[in-house]
Amino acid sequence: MKRVGLFVCHCGLNIARTVDIKDIVEKTSKRSDIVFAADHKYLCSEPGQALIKDSIRQHKLDAIVVAACSPAMHEATFKTIAQLSGLNKYNCEIANIREQSSWVHDDPQKATEKAHIIVSEAIEKVKLNEPLQPITVPVTRKVLIIGGGIAGIRASLDVANAGYQVYLVEKSGSIGGRMAQLSETFPTLDCAICILGPLMVEVYRHPNIKLLRLSQVEEVRGYIGNFKVKVRQEPEYVDVAKCNACGECAKVCPADVPNEFDFGLTWRKAIYTPFAQAVPPAYVLDAKNCLGLLPQACGECKKACDQLGTACMNLDAWPQTHELEVGAIIVATGYELYDATKLTEYGYGTCPDVMTSIEFERMLSASGPTLGEIRRPSDGRVPREIVFIQCAGQREPETALPYCSKICCMYTARHAMMFREKVPEGQAYVFYMDIRAGGKGYEEFVKRCQEERGLLYLRGRVAKVYEENGKLIVKGVDTISGKRVQINADLVVLAVGMIPSAGSKELASTLKASLDANGFFSEAHPKLRPLESPTAGIYLAGAGQAPKDIPETVAQASGAAAKALDLLSSPTLEREPTVAQVLETCSGCGICIPLCPYEALTLNANTNQAEVSEALCEGCGTCVASCPSSSLSLRNLTDQQILAMIEAIVA
Amino acid sequence: MQSYLYFPGCTLRTVAKDYDASAKACARALGFELKEMQGWLCCGAVLSNVEDNLMTRAGPNRILARAQQESDRLVTLCAGCYNVLKRTDLRAKLASPAQQSINTFNEDSYNGRVDVVHFLEILRDQVGFDAIEKAVKAPLKGVRVGAYYGCLLLRPFEEMKFDDPNRPSILENLLMRLGCTPIDYPARTDCCGSYLSVGSSENSQPMSATIVKSAHSCGARLLTVGCPLCKYNLESSQIPRAKNASAEKFLPVVYFTQLLGLALGLRPEELELDMQQMQAIREAQIPTSEGRDRH
Amino acid sequence: MEKTFEPKIVGFLCKWCSYAGADLAGTSRMKYPPNLNAMRVNCSGRIDPSFVLRALASGADGVLIAGCHPGDCHYTNGNVKTLRRFRLLQRMLDQFGIERERVRLEWISASEGERYARVVRGMTEEIRSLGPLNWKTTMEVAA
Repeated sequence: MKRVGLFVCHCGLNIARTVDIKDIVEKTSKRSDIVFAADHKYLCSEPGQALIKDSIRQHKLDAIVVAACSPAMHEATFKTIAQLSGLNKYNCEIANIREQSSWVHDDPQKATEKAHIIVSEAIEKVKLNEPLQPITVPVTRKVLIIGGGIAGIRASLDVANAGYQVYLVEKSGSIGGRMAQLSETFPTLDCAICILGPLMVEVYRHPNIKLLRLSQVEEVRGYIGNFKVKVRQEPEYVDVAKCNACGECAKVCPADVPNEFDFGLTWRKAIYTPFAQAVPPAYVLDAKNCLGLLPQACGECKKACDQLGTACMNLDAWPQTHELEVGAIIVATGYELYDATKLTEYGYGTCPDVMTSIEFERMLSASGPTLGEIRRPSDGRVPREIVFIQCAGQREPETALPYCSKICCMYTARHAMMFREKVPEGQAYVFYMDIRAGGKGYEEFVKRCQEERGLLYLRGRVAKVYEENGKLIVKGVDTISGKRVQINADLVVLAVGMIPSAGSKELASTLKASLDANGFFSEAHPKLRPLESPTAGIYLAGAGQAPKDIPETVAQASGAAAKALDLLSSPTLEREPTVAQVLETCSGCGICIPLCPYEALTLNANTNQAEVSEALCEGCGTCVASCPSSSLSLRNLTDQQILAMIEAIVA
Repeated sequence: MQSYLYFPGCTLRTVAKDYDASAKACARALGFELKEMQGWLCCGAVLSNVEDNLMTRAGPNRILARAQQESDRLVTLCAGCYNVLKRTDLRAKLASPAQQSINTFNEDSYNGRVDVVHFLEILRDQVGFDAIEKAVKAPLKGVRVGAYYGCLLLRPFEEMKFDDPNRPSILENLLMRLGCTPIDYPARTDCCGSYLSVGSSENSQPMSATIVKSAHSCGARLLTVGCPLCKYNLESSQIPRAKNASAEKFLPVVYFTQLLGLALGLRPEELELDMQQMQAIREAQIPTSEGRDRH
Repeated sequence: MEKTFEPKIVGFLCKWCSYAGADLAGTSRMKYPPNLNAMRVNCSGRIDPSFVLRALASGADGVLIAGCHPGDCHYTNGNVKTLRRFRLLQRMLDQFGIERERVRLEWISASEGERYARVVRGMTEEIRSLGPLNWKTTMEVAA
């Protein structure tokens, strides 16, 4: 039998004005399960806390009930006092007689009656509480970062600079991501690769960062602080350490492949470097498009390489599986663009002169398909009239994407401006619904583009784009003048939406991280916890979580890194012990298993009983309520406790 | 003989008798029958689709309630009737309070148990284009025809789900099997002006004229439709001919069932094709140098 | 003079949303009848329907289960499971001849103090007009 003590707070007059404190103390001390009862004006104050500590000592109390304000206010305070007085913190319960009684009822008698019941509930609960200790799990002080774009790069550097080991896993042959494909960045018009390049090199040279290119995460097991990850790396036919990117291999390769870096606007060879500033600066052999490796059909690349003496190729390489142990995972998988062929009214795919914004971006780039000159894909002529269509396939819940991708208004202004700079006699038309320029310097940038470069902004949508006599007929509307507009354009650029990168769905399922309705990785709370996945130990950075621009991505990446560092800051991790437990009556029916949103329940094939991973369990109790044989229990909120509290209420 | 319950609609009984006759003739040639449903009434045309006046929906609901007595599928030819009946059926399936009101008002309740299909869907799904191709006796020798879809077969897409709303192909697929050379032209899904031609033809005429011009400039020498109103609008936008540069620019309009019938070896009289239309069909077989032939 | 019947209502509030909402009602000094006594649970998903029946059998005239709005559950979707169980519970209540109005499932967010107060007021009056449940006189209860 626990020796329970009751402490009732006046809370100045907040409680005392309505609830008869003396009555509570008197009547409660008469209970057989209460050893001591006292009241105080302000229990949370120093003297109040001293009263509790002294009383615990004096009366050898095992457990206390504090009748005061909401547990949301001072539960932690009183639990700490209990602990400091030698009690387990779970032997302290709060009876909320302020927000739930004195503040909401006028009638003192009724308020006091209710306060009695509230106190009674707390007493019944504390009597049955177990003295739990926090669950300590060790922390592997390493971080896995998935995705080598600007988000992954920034996060890697932050974690590595803090002294921890980073594994940076990148799907393609080089880090850099989308930012490496950009020509300039708004609003500063910095050359994208110029500002990105040094960061890429820093990653490559960093002693704490192990870069795994051509790699994907295959399997993730474990839990926060203790993840065991299997990463599959495609065969490295080229030895990254030895390759000096001389390019002799590509010169003799007979296989031509559309270059994905330029979205098929240029060609590359089967052995190639993703782009000039690629990191690692080693060539990649695209086995799918090579004439054949098993058996070897060509081998000219290796011959050329061997002849030079570099001899860095091995055509018999196999995929490798890396088994990594990490404490935290940062997901930075980025985005790709919505398939514009679905927007049949715009003619993408059938009219060669209709391009997506990112294809236009490549064209603008000095390292792109036209070395920075703007040309029509159909006949190579310089376009005079370009129509830019914003919100292409976006903000359209019925037929395409329902959301706004945030960056298109900005880059379209930049595109139109760059076009006018390169083709001063040209004319740029921008069809828009709204201009969203909320970042620092963004509004000024758009205005500058519009005014300095004489861009024609038409507020309205485009109904149809079709080809006629070598021109693109763009049929739209200008809602401000209320007139239909037809522009006979030379080139049309579609600002299509950002969608999560291919493979996000599979990765989410591998990580057991959730995706939102649009397939982006979900955050634990949209306002207050945007950097963490609801799955403990997994953090999010960049456009993989939601469309965003580069400054936000970098900020988020550093934030996610900080969260990971917080996790790694101590060698062990404490988890709340109020978790589910399986009792021996479990028959292995399996009803509870699929109910857990954290997949903390598994069916043990040997014992044929359910098992709870205490580190994964968040203690919601949904499984407990589902068990038909009551073989699951929630520590310190057991069925017994709830029923005792129900009795306290209805007695 | 396979029989499908058929809703002709007002226009096919009056101005568009040729559409009705040619469809029935094709059906016979292909081995099935269009059996007219009992007690049909005017569908109310597009006005029946309005959301804020339940009264307009009473008529189409009554049609479907009566059709339900005879079959669980109803075939239509007129695109307008198809649009109205299909969307009425969809709303009935929702079992909303509005539907309950309508059912209470009508003596026969309708609860969404009839599938409303277009004749083209019967040809494609029940008969099959392969079977039709085999049955072709007089291939149309490369007739350069522009299929005109208009609005009501395709839109609103979420409800009609008939074909891709921007790049439909069901008519072209059928026409190719008949030996035609279907011409792709940008305006084939643009609106012809619909009922504007009744009250304000100055607005609908240019809309139809644009369609005709677009088809002609891409090489079409014939237009084919599935809607009597589209046919009327497209034809009347070309009269008076004095306004057009030359007689060459005149594009006759026929129903796709008439082309189908010809290909199946039926005589023009059975399909109610007149001499002028037959002449145009013959001339459409000759390749032209004008415009780009896109198909 | 006959005493007005004071219903006894047991409330299960989820700590993340509804209990916080109830606290907000308190902080805002909203007033409502004292007939409902709330118990704080981690998630509305913890509520086994048998708790509801036990409460009614032990003398409660009504039960309120309050959770987060769907989509907002701190534990992702505990409230969805509560909803499913609630629907089955309602059918059981029908079979027992217990009025459905006696057991309510409400979504109350942490910012909906006003709503909480309204629900308590509304439920108290509704059950008052239904009268006492008198479980023991309406059926045999196994101890």
